[in-house]
Amino acid sequence: MSHADLAVGGHTPAMEPSPFAIPAKKLAMWLFIIADIMTFAGCLVAYGFLRNATPDWPRPFQPSTIGGIMVMTFILITSALTMVLGVRAARAGDRAAAFRWTMITLAGGLLFALLHIREWFGMIDRGVTLYKNPWGTGLFGGAYFSVTGMELLHVIAGLIALLIVGLGYKRGRYTSDDIENCGLFWQFINIVWMFVVPLVYLLNIAS
Amino acid sequence: MNKTDEQGGLGKYFVVYLCMLVITALEVGIAYRHPGGAQLLASMLFLAFIGALLGILYFMRLAAEKQSLVVAFAVFTLFVLATMNYGWTDSLRLLHGAPFAK
Repeated sequence: MSHADLAVGGHTPAMEPSPFAIPAKKLAMWLFIIADIMTFAGCLVAYGFLRNATPDWPRPFQPSTIGGIMVMTFILITSALTMVLGVRAARAGDRAAAFRWTMITLAGGLLFALLHIREWFGMIDRGVTLYKNPWGTGLFGGAYFSVTGMELLHVIAGLIALLIVGLGYKRGRYTSDDIENCGLFWQFINIVWMFVVPLVYLLNIAS
Repeated sequence: MNKTDEQGGLGKYFVVYLCMLVITALEVGIAYRHPGGAQLLASMLFLAFIGALLGILYFMRLAAEKQSLVVAFAVFTLFVLATMNYGWTDSLRLLHGAPFAK
């Protein structure tokens, strides 16, 4: 029986059911996240390789820096919770609440990004660039800015997505599925940060 | 995410949120108590993995999806992540300088 026959018959759907019983856009987001996991894993493994193979790897992070990183982590984890609340509100059909939670998440993410940039400037002021730093191996700057830059790039992309989809959802252009997909991406950013903090910062606390 | 789940309480999300904060605090505590060594790395990765698992299962709602989706994603992702660790032996060779280091 051809697809056309199925469509004419009216009893069986003309198209094959969605794989794993989830909408196509959500499946695409999951596949994108898996691909992105590989990208981040590649970055972190390369960072770990360099750190492990370099005897004089710098340990530049003072308690003040770690304090700042903890504040950033608190903000990001809290924004992950507000995103969950936004997705729940969207699925329940409460557009006003979903928009409000999405914008709160956006504000948290924006604050995180600003603190991240501030932390970068702090490192640049201490003489860390892509090719050199005051403590020894020149690989440190490149590795540090690559891993944290990748995270920051994702945060900025997530903020743009939250803004566009949040506003679009409020105006009726996007559906709750779109808010949920945005939420998946935002949660992914939070999860990646949970690996970046220990590997990049906590393992390199100044002694 | 289904309707039944949406109508459920928010408690589990706050529990996961608190767990993530506690994990972060534990990581900082461990980092300052044991500054360096393979054991520190293992502890950090273990805690980060627990935090990530909580995030994926509850905040990303993978626990509520069909089991076939979870299995399909987990098998391929974990396999590729595992194969990425192939290079560690070479980093140790570079660190210790033998054999074939120069």
